[in-house]
Amino acid sequence: MSALLAVVRRTFSTLVTLWGVSVIIFIVLRLLPGNAVSAAMGVSEGLLTPGQIAALNRYYGVGQPAVQQYLSWLHALVTGNLGISLVSREAVSTLIGTALPVTLELALFSMIIGVAIGVGFGMWSALHPGRWQDDIGQAISVIGLAIPVFILGTVLVVFMSTHFHYFPSSKPFAGVLTNPWLNFQQIIFPALVLSLGIGAAILRTTRAAVLEVSSLNFARTALGKGVSRRAFVWRHLFLNALTAVTTMSGIQLGYLLGGTVIIEQIFILPGMGRLLITSISNRDFPVVQSTVLIFAAGFVIVNMLVDLCYTLIDPRTRKQ
Amino acid sequence: MKRFIRMRGVAAAALVLSSVGLYSTAVSSSGASAANAPFVIGSVNSVQKIDPDVVTNFLDFEALGLIYDMLVQENSSLKIEPDLATSWAFSNGNKVLTLHLRTGVKFDDGSTMTSADVVASLTRAQATATADPSASFIGSVTNIAASGPNTVVLTMSHPDVSVLEGLATVNMAIMPAAAITAGTIATQPDGTGPFEFGSNVANTSFTMTANPNYWGGKPSLGTVEIETIPTEQSISAALQAGTIQMGLLNQPTVVSTLPKTFKIDKALDLSYRALQLQDKKGILSNVNARLAIACATNRQQILQDSVFGQGKVVGPVPLGPYATSPVSAICPTQNLKQAKKYLKAAGKPKGFSFTAITSTDLDSTSAAQAIAMQSQLAKVGIKMNIQNLASNAYIQDWLKGKFQAAFAENGADPDPYVMYGRYFGAGAGLAVPAGYSSKTLQAELLAGDENSTAAGQIKDWKALSNTLTSKAVWIWLFDANDFAALASNVHGFTLSPVNTTQLASLATTSVS
Repeated sequence: MSALLAVVRRTFSTLVTLWGVSVIIFIVLRLLPGNAVSAAMGVSEGLLTPGQIAALNRYYGVGQPAVQQYLSWLHALVTGNLGISLVSREAVSTLIGTALPVTLELALFSMIIGVAIGVGFGMWSALHPGRWQDDIGQAISVIGLAIPVFILGTVLVVFMSTHFHYFPSSKPFAGVLTNPWLNFQQIIFPALVLSLGIGAAILRTTRAAVLEVSSLNFARTALGKGVSRRAFVWRHLFLNALTAVTTMSGIQLGYLLGGTVIIEQIFILPGMGRLLITSISNRDFPVVQSTVLIFAAGFVIVNMLVDLCYTLIDPRTRKQ
Repeated sequence: MKRFIRMRGVAAAALVLSSVGLYSTAVSSSGASAANAPFVIGSVNSVQKIDPDVVTNFLDFEALGLIYDMLVQENSSLKIEPDLATSWAFSNGNKVLTLHLRTGVKFDDGSTMTSADVVASLTRAQATATADPSASFIGSVTNIAASGPNTVVLTMSHPDVSVLEGLATVNMAIMPAAAITAGTIATQPDGTGPFEFGSNVANTSFTMTANPNYWGGKPSLGTVEIETIPTEQSISAALQAGTIQMGLLNQPTVVSTLPKTFKIDKALDLSYRALQLQDKKGILSNVNARLAIACATNRQQILQDSVFGQGKVVGPVPLGPYATSPVSAICPTQNLKQAKKYLKAAGKPKGFSFTAITSTDLDSTSAAQAIAMQSQLAKVGIKMNIQNLASNAYIQDWLKGKFQAAFAENGADPDPYVMYGRYFGAGAGLAVPAGYSSKTLQAELLAGDENSTAAGQIKDWKALSNTLTSKAVWIWLFDANDFAALASNVHGFTLSPVNTTQLASLATTSVS
């Protein structure tokens, strides 16, 4: 019952957070200079007559009072209608429906590779402290944290295209069901780039957590009792370090959503990041609002899931 | 240990297999240019709107310019030549323009073009509700009437030969009267151009197919796709991977990294870079202070520093039959001694300071231009502060004239009246950002617009250029090259200098 209450409480706070995000997005967008008309017309706006500007304001729906705009957006949001793009005149839900699976697939691949790199090398490093294995792990973490994704992504694209005439992302994006092999090729390279930073952070956390756990009394006792090496490493060390690793993975997944904005530009992936960048430059408010809200929802939901995971990983939190 | 070695073996095998798989795909993709495959063009921009009367983005113009025709067009020498109108004549003291239409031209819907379609199209362009950004180009037209099935007569309120230039823009495209009445133009383009509309996927791709009924002959390219690739570096990568056949590029650094196997076509862009000055208040209201800036500026160095010399130093009229030569009546090249004399005359022998705005969002080279100019002006004691703004902030400040100086990339036109009437003409729409007005300029603009003789126009427009540069109204800097990188099997494509119809020669392009 108390667990159910905790979930309900957490869900409620998530909704409040998202509402707060929606207000902030709305206000920030209105504080930016210009609107959809000025974004569309550029300096040509100065050549329009007042009648023409009024016609365009009606077309783009930018003349309404801000409160009315917010309430109608909120109402539409609750009813599942995200509105119409001011520029392409397509339903925002259609645009997001096309872009979201691409970003989710990219995030999933990146996370899987990142966790594999982070946990694998983190464990390897922690089990050989001060030796060459540890040095390799440390080097990977420093490189992963130090190189920005846009540099690594650009270098990879240039290298592949120059030396191998290979840039699968430049073909029209293939769905995972329509052409799984091309889809894999289009996703794997940006996922590798994104995963390096994630892996580096998880690597450091894993190494630190495992080293800390291995110095505790129960670990020494387990070894003294003659527990096998494999059981000691995975059951006693890894499981006890898993809470910290999960927390870091959750945080990284949140940041990963931000990273896709840049990497989708470099690798020509028609995902949420590219949709967001284009919509911001076009002052396409309905698309920006809904896209940012989905990013925020993703971050909040991941954090909520991480919190819930604690209860599965650590029995002590269940008692609390 | 054995298990570990076995696992490593499996991993290594998987890596080798996947590498072979990816490499084989790479090799096949690089040679995948089948005869009937779409001709793919990579561009950092995407087609935003498909109604020719409301487009403002260059790529929208370029794409729709392949679907629609106008009454007249600008050729590669920037002279007006026939398009849907085969001939024309001014009469009644240049207040009436009679256009004779091409016969047998069909729209994509199969209907035949008549004068009624032209009247409906121009009337739609003029209507306030349409909000056509080029409506002012035919603002002097008071009546549009058909005179028979293949003749259209435009009546102007005053002599206006520049109206012909206005008719050459895609914003004046000719569309079927029935489609205008049905209200389908915004969703289903229907023109008479070499290509027919296929599809437009927002921010991703724009597709056209060859028009079999095109009056100029069916194009060789069956399908043309403009693919949005967000960075020029990625366009270069896509070219090298063989997935696109043409890349539209602006950055000389990217162009220089392409292998020699690619053909690079370049053309001076019909737009110019200038430092616009707000001449109505502060130190820049002093003509000698402005002239000091003009003389201290080394335009060639700015061209070199910002676009690696890929362009040309220009004056107020950058290209075409009335191009300004020399580029400035005062100090066509840097003259620091003269600049100091002007500073003394301005009462500021030790120099002065002012702030210039840039927007690298709008023009990626503007910061480099500003930095180069900053160091040049510093040599005579003029301190130029630089403020870089986001695109929309820049546009808002620019439109309101809230700047002392602004690095701008402005659209040009071979006809100086079309180019500067909106800045310096009587009742100009952009008089505020222009920051300067004078009766002399207005009179010179009007004289050139009313004069229909070639010799007379050359004289009138030379006088205009002299006035603009001798008063240092703005500091005109340079005109940069645009680039099209082409795969070696692409033939017959030439980048047009008219940046709204840069892709026009796709109608005669072929792939071997």
